Amino acid sequence: MRTELLSAALLCLLGCPLVRAAPPLPTEHLTVEKLGPAKAHWVYVVDEAFFNETDARVDLFDGDSYRRLGQIDAGFNPGVNLSPDGSTTVVATTYFARGGHGARTDVVEFTDNSTLSLTGEIVLPPKRANTLPTYFNLAYSADSHFLYVAYVTPASSFGVLDPAKKTVLDEIDTAGCVLVIPSGPNRVSSLCESGRMLTVTLDADGHEASRALSEPFFDADTDPVFVQGVASKDGYLFLSFLGQVHEVDFSAPQPVFRAPWSIVTSAEKGHWRPGGQTVAALHRGLGRLYVPMHRGGEGSHKSGGTEIWVFDLKTHERLARWPLSAHKLAAVIAIQVSQDDAPIVFAATEKSDVAVFDALTGQLKHIEKQLGQTSWFFLNP
Amino acid sequence: MRSIDRVFEQSSRSLAQRTSRRSVLAALGRVLTGAALLPLLPIDRSSRAAASEAAASALDNPQSCEYWKYCAIDGFLCSCCGGSSHSCPPGTAPSPITWIGTCHNPADARDYIVSYNDCCGKTSCGNCECNRNEHEKPMYRLSRNNDVNWCMANADSNYHCSVSVILGVAEP
Repeated sequence: MRTELLSAALLCLLGCPLVRAAPPLPTEHLTVEKLGPAKAHWVYVVDEAFFNETDARVDLFDGDSYRRLGQIDAGFNPGVNLSPDGSTTVVATTYFARGGHGARTDVVEFTDNSTLSLTGEIVLPPKRANTLPTYFNLAYSADSHFLYVAYVTPASSFGVLDPAKKTVLDEIDTAGCVLVIPSGPNRVSSLCESGRMLTVTLDADGHEASRALSEPFFDADTDPVFVQGVASKDGYLFLSFLGQVHEVDFSAPQPVFRAPWSIVTSAEKGHWRPGGQTVAALHRGLGRLYVPMHRGGEGSHKSGGTEIWVFDLKTHERLARWPLSAHKLAAVIAIQVSQDDAPIVFAATEKSDVAVFDALTGQLKHIEKQLGQTSWFFLNP
Repeated sequence: MRSIDRVFEQSSRSLAQRTSRRSVLAALGRVLTGAALLPLLPIDRSSRAAASEAAASALDNPQSCEYWKYCAIDGFLCSCCGGSSHSCPPGTAPSPITWIGTCHNPADARDYIVSYNDCCGKTSCGNCECNRNEHEKPMYRLSRNNDVNWCMANADSNYHCSVSVILGVAEP
């Protein structure tokens, strides 16, 4: 003990004057961070939190600084989308009164994306479709006048909401067709088991004015389409299990189906397949389509990609193959691309690592380890 | 513990991606047939025998994602959560609605119709995650879809785990 005291005294003789000479640290004031203006390389990462599913969340991530900027709570098995201007995140979710159990409340929650604060909610009937996140679980009309929410009880229908007045306007039966694919100011299309698309047109008050059923555009038995459509310049495109691309033009009153094309050669067909939770991303300006691909057979449609294939939407030419094993990345199950002139690709793996690539060259820029627990879906404006 | 689970989950997923269940069985069959034709040489076969037993036991183990009845299950195996392949854990409630699949049992070479029910009313079990998708279809074919929460119509609709219940032999 005496030795330690002597040592301390000796240290103080040498160092204490220096410590005393340094100015003290300034006092701090606890504040709340402000986000600043949105950037093209921000992305909303939807984490299903499957291992404790009542605690899903959306992480806002900056693809330039590789920092998490904040979080939006998302409850249980949520649907998530952005308003057309990107200013609002909407989360359709379920809460149980006692945490993991108790009375069920289905609700749409609105978050101001400039502050990540809740700004309002609309309580729903307890019918919200509990399923994987897609662009079509809930979606705004193009003019943001209506918000549509898919219901499955398991009877299928959808709710029409007024996001300004925060009210439910109507519920519209969809006769077994599912999800809400928005187009124009007042049209909602749904995918049907028969391979057709049902399109309901609404009146100004959000009630059904008319409906029409398309001719079949895919075969659900031989080559079903994934429900995770990708927004294109004039509509959405849907990939099939075997790699057919079905481009659907939604700019007219009824959807127009272009001739499908294939992302695989005849030799690759059935051996290389798209798959995962979010199966493709499109840079609309460049017309470049990014698809995680894997080798697999029937039943492998949820398997992630071991490569990302890049296609020119106009020529259908495959521009590149990006093998992921070189980066020691696990299979990629979700993908997104920023829409700016210097685009980056976000790719989430089965382990919820998020890789950031230069979208033009395929160069790996960053791997963010464990961005969430089960991150299956990306959103960006 | 979870990290260990996930390592095994990833490796089994990776295996499932590379090989279908039938291809494993076919390969195993070839190995066994071939082994019977080869002369018995004085070499140590214990490692191969152990590997074959491990593959066979995974197909027959209700706590393994490779178990034959789970050919299109998606979620946490109730057999790892206090239940079994066809019973819910204590304090949970079975989903009255479900979807139906067909799985092949290698032990008797029959196809069985199974119902994939969820067990509901508690939060995710979080153990033995398993996602297999033989003949699974997207949500527009709801009776063949494993993406939706089949607890949706329960009084307590939280999802806990999944089972696979034999309904009968599929007629050829």
